[in-house]
Amino acid sequence: NHIQNKSFCVHNVCVCTVYLSYLGPPFSDPGFSPPRPNSSSLSVPSAATRVDLWRGLENGARLAQNQRAYSVLLCAVRELARSTLCPYLQSSLMHFCSGLSGLLGSISGLMNALGYTSLPPSTPAQGYAPLLSSQFQNMEGFWVLRELQSWLWRSAKDFTRLKKRLQRLATTVHGLN
Amino acid sequence: MANIVTSFCCVVLAAVVVVYAQRRSQQGARIQYEKIGSDVTMQCGSLDNDASVTWKVNGTDVKARRREEGPRLILMEVNMSSNGLYSCFQNPDGQRRDQINLRVGLPPKEPQVTCRSNTYPKGFYCSWHLQHPTYIPTDFEVDVQHNQRPLEVTRDEVHKNRCHVKFPELFTSFPYRVNVTAVNSLGRASSAISFEESSIGTVELSDSTSHTITDAYAGKEYIIQLAAKDMEIGTWSDWSVAVHATPWMEEPKPITSTTESDIIPGMHELPTVRTLLSYSL
Repeated sequence: NHIQNKSFCVHNVCVCTVYLSYLGPPFSDPGFSPPRPNSSSLSVPSAATRVDLWRGLENGARLAQNQRAYSVLLCAVRELARSTLCPYLQSSLMHFCSGLSGLLGSISGLMNALGYTSLPPSTPAQGYAPLLSSQFQNMEGFWVLRELQSWLWRSAKDFTRLKKRLQRLATTVHGLN
Repeated sequence: MANIVTSFCCVVLAAVVVVYAQRRSQQGARIQYEKIGSDVTMQCGSLDNDASVTWKVNGTDVKARRREEGPRLILMEVNMSSNGLYSCFQNPDGQRRDQINLRVGLPPKEPQVTCRSNTYPKGFYCSWHLQHPTYIPTDFEVDVQHNQRPLEVTRDEVHKNRCHVKFPELFTSFPYRVNVTAVNSLGRASSAISFEESSIGTVELSDSTSHTITDAYAGKEYIIQLAAKDMEIGTWSDWSVAVHATPWMEEPKPITSTTESDIIPGMHELPTVRTLLSYSL
């Protein structure tokens, strides 16, 4: 089992809290839930998916969606780290990035082991452009972390499902031997 | 031919009139809901202000603190003992003119709402209750919002205070907002809760759903309850309904009927075992 994403929840909570208080109000307000900017202005893929589509995802597609999301998110969080002025926040974000990088490596490794084609590791995530105005930057940063939280929640469910399917596959194979 | 049709119509009309008259005489009492502690005015039908009436409650004289003004009975600072069927009789002919079923109660306070998912990833359910009784019939209205859109809410057929909602999508970055309003004749009150999909205690059932407790003492009765949590992520579910069980000391004889465990006089209080079982999902 290559996937070690449990520790991200702890880090995730710390980083999000710190980043939100860094952004200040209204981002740091507890009930703050703005509408999502449309996909052209926010290139981080949304974790949201229809129930039936998610359940029906084939193993390769499931992994590929995770891989694509985390490669974009990795770039996005790196950009956030680069553009913050607070040293503590910057080091937290960079530390988080190394975790994300590890996760991405695990996903790619798993895809290769299972024989699925994966993105080449050195490709910079397409479509993630650096930000312009600082106001837009804050909103973008807010949404990057929002989507990151959703993806971490989703990945836990994705990998649980994958594990079950692969275990079933393994017992079938074992039974045949 | 026309005669038969006319006769038939007359018969039907007569039947309708008879049924209507019967209903009117049965239908005497109307319900009046009033707040505990308030002064209550009951009006006898549509009589004039100078009419003289006699009031009875449940067939007996009205003994509570009151005032009578023409066709009106005013009870002071009502309480639960004021409940009853009040009848008014016009003087001097003694004919009953009206019947009022007085029900005393309270307006609702904000309900307590909780939501959980036990059918993940299909949907979640919410349940609510009032901390303080209202003593009169109280209904609930529920609305659920997600990403500024209302979601379809299905009321539970069995549990009056429960509703079910299907997830429109999974893994969204927007919270769900559930608003429950308690309504009765005396007022309304609502409360709302907001939550993310990841925080409402989700459990996906796996194949292995049995467990053997190996360290129970023979002859001792136990109360067993179960809670579950998704191993990777999520929160613990509510405790299940309790089950009573006693590990047997000898080979069990065939049971002809199931009985609740009897509490033998003199035994100590039943020990409670709450086993946290985490299933490997």
